[in-house]
Amino acid sequence: MVPHELNGRFPMHELSLAHDMTRIIGSALGRKVHLDRVNITVGPLSGISPESLRFCFTEVAKVEGFGEPELVINQTRAKIICLDCDIEYEAKEFYQGCPDCGSLSRRIISGREFTVDSVELEEGND
Amino acid sequence: MCDEATEQKVDITTSVMSKNDLFAAENRGFLKGKGIYTLNLISSPGSGKTTVLESMARFFGPRMAVIEGDIQTRRDAERIEKAGCQAWQIETGGACHLDAHAVKHAMDHMDLDSDDLELLAIENVGNLICPSGYDLGENLRIGLLSVPEGDDKILKYPSLFSSINVLLINKMDLLPHLDFDVDRAIEECRSLNPDVIVLTASAKTGEGMEEFCGFVENQFSG
Repeated sequence: MVPHELNGRFPMHELSLAHDMTRIIGSALGRKVHLDRVNITVGPLSGISPESLRFCFTEVAKVEGFGEPELVINQTRAKIICLDCDIEYEAKEFYQGCPDCGSLSRRIISGREFTVDSVELEEGND
Repeated sequence: MCDEATEQKVDITTSVMSKNDLFAAENRGFLKGKGIYTLNLISSPGSGKTTVLESMARFFGPRMAVIEGDIQTRRDAERIEKAGCQAWQIETGGACHLDAHAVKHAMDHMDLDSDDLELLAIENVGNLICPSGYDLGENLRIGLLSVPEGDDKILKYPSLFSSINVLLINKMDLLPHLDFDVDRAIEECRSLNPDVIVLTASAKTGEGMEEFCGFVENQFSG
């Protein structure tokens, strides 16, 4: 993880993740350019607070030379299989059981994803 | 990957955790090569992780080494050393979790070549959210939940409790004084994670600790 002077004041892992995002973007582009938009996907079991991430990323992107891109967060739902009635359903939180039979007996098959999907370059940066 | 001459949008499609996962895979391979089985203990602050580890240190002795993750101070490592195990303290200096690179760095400072050594226990920074996405290279992820924290915590922190292999409910000696419903906690943890193994203990009184240590021992000596 890249240490950052803000680390001591904001003990949240979204800050180190924001640094990882700029590292991934920089290495994919091969250079630092101002960006219009950064598109990412965040699952409900990724342990990430989208608002904290947005706060940290805005700061880190600026400091790291990527300008002030809009962070577009695609918040997915987890895919779940009900172990009582076998149907597959999707959920953002885990208090509600199966929409068909109400059972909380289930297997979660996705929801941990956290990816940088694409970036859009500022006009004149192509 | 990037065709910037023709379009403004550049596809990246990369997992943000990929670098950590790479270090975690390296740690796992390195530890396997040394015949060391590894635990990652995660819980909120004050749930008794260090007390559990002290009790484990008395059970395993020099067969176990411990990496302690804390924001500040060597206090926890000193407690483990007193109980009879090698311990290395990572002071994260503000960061709320351990990552695989920090663990790799800690291992560089430790003596992991002893023939006696069979088990490495990593005590994560006390936090129910941030550590959950970071694979450290462990073989077994243990979530601790203590009775005073309440039986409603599991569904509040699904990213952690859906990712653990073992739930250890600690401070069972306080059960008569509090409203913690053990069955509810187990049911809700299984609802996130049907394969989870649940054990109960009081690290303070020692109740259930021999069973817990025996369970851990069976994972690598069975």
